Amino acid sequence: MQFDFPFIVSAMKEMVKTIPLTLMMAVLPIVFGFLVALGNIIVRIFRIKGLVACSRFYVSFFRSTPAILHIMLIYLGIPPVADQVSSFFHLGWSANEIPVSMFVIMALSLTAGAYLTEIIRSGILAMDTGQVEAAYSIGLTHSQTFRRVILPQALMVSIPNFTNLGIGFLHTTSIAAIVAVPEITGTATIVASDNYAFLEAFIGAAIIYWVLTLILESVNGVLERKAARFQGGTL
Amino acid sequence: MIEIKNIHKQFGIHHVLKGINLTVRKGEVVTIIGPSGSGKTTFLRCLNLLERPDEGIISIHDKVINCSFPSKKEVHWLRKQTAMVFQQYHLFAHKTVIENVMEGLTIARKMRKQDAYAVAENELRKVGLQDKLNAYPSQLSGGQKQRVGIARALAIHPDVLLFDEPTAALDPELVGEVLEVMLEIVKTGATMIVVTHEMEFARRVSDQVVFMDEGVIVEQGTPEEVFRHTKKDRTRQFLRRVSPEYLFEPKEHIKEPVI
Repeated sequence: MQFDFPFIVSAMKEMVKTIPLTLMMAVLPIVFGFLVALGNIIVRIFRIKGLVACSRFYVSFFRSTPAILHIMLIYLGIPPVADQVSSFFHLGWSANEIPVSMFVIMALSLTAGAYLTEIIRSGILAMDTGQVEAAYSIGLTHSQTFRRVILPQALMVSIPNFTNLGIGFLHTTSIAAIVAVPEITGTATIVASDNYAFLEAFIGAAIIYWVLTLILESVNGVLERKAARFQGGTL
Repeated sequence: MIEIKNIHKQFGIHHVLKGINLTVRKGEVVTIIGPSGSGKTTFLRCLNLLERPDEGIISIHDKVINCSFPSKKEVHWLRKQTAMVFQQYHLFAHKTVIENVMEGLTIARKMRKQDAYAVAENELRKVGLQDKLNAYPSQLSGGQKQRVGIARALAIHPDVLLFDEPTAALDPELVGEVLEVMLEIVKTGATMIVVTHEMEFARRVSDQVVFMDEGVIVEQGTPEEVFRHTKKDRTRQFLRRVSPEYLFEPKEHIKEPVI
């Protein structure tokens, strides 16, 4: 069998069409996950009774199980529940109307939330506690100190870790193929089997992932330089 | 103006403060001296409740705070009356010099931004840093950082300024510039409580000197009384050991040779 160079390009043309959806499934979970993580961190820092245990369980569960499992649990678990709710309140819609990519985004948001909780937590641990005392000493309250001193610094030192997770999630979207969401890897498999040119299709997919990752890395570079300004440019 | 009664603090089995009493009048400069581990820093940190005493009473302006169970409101109130300068500066690393000084004004005191900027700029001019307003702490020397720390504390016009060994982390060459700024503050009539190892500073500027050891006040009085007419042996021993001549004095006990 001959290696078909031109097919790499034509396969890539098909895959490029799925980039918006793929990016959406990578970026939205990070955004929603960030909100989830922020909630977790607030629960932990202010030691909100009852919720601390929930937060620990959530982080432990979602970090101990693979993302593909989260997708399956949400994809298979939510529709029956949603249908029950819909029929109970006579809302008149069915779970079939929810696009499958929504389930993937939901599941990955929960996965990302668990990892981001730990990333932000480690950013907070890296902080010099003296600054917190300094904030109290000039009359800031706990929540002002958290918002204005702890969080900004924890987030800035976490930027490389956020990017790392973002890149990881870009690649994790490939498992969405299992629930038939047309993303990059899934499309590669389809065009490959249509044309019996698997290696070419996957080389094409690799190039696309690589380019997307390079873009993410350069965004990271810009952010890091901005954040590193206060550290005298070193990081 | 400030009355501190019977402050006790225990860390585990370690009894760090064993009933400290101190009265500070308005405009007084009180220096606290003593060996490491004597509890002087812990005592200072109890005054703005960064450390929670197990027992004791702090009263400022006739408002009495029972330190064993202060309410959140009382803690916050007390911290608004005081400001602290730290040994390790503890500047907000992500904020510029001027933002560091403005923080207590705009956030804790809800001052308008322009007003806060003016106040902060003025305080920074007083400490000689008017040309560093937009620098980040990481770009400053130790002495400059500490002067920002002092400006940050001064800006909120506290009733009492607390200094926790403000020069202890500095290069010998930079100690002078910080002490100089502190002398200027003394001239303005601010009430100050200073934990320090700078004996000359303590001798020359304080109204009251407090010598602490092992969690108690061993001796206290005017600099004249404590430094010249020392009553207690422990104080005399401490003052002798920190004096520059100590190294070359003949010793009673010959220790093991060092080399």
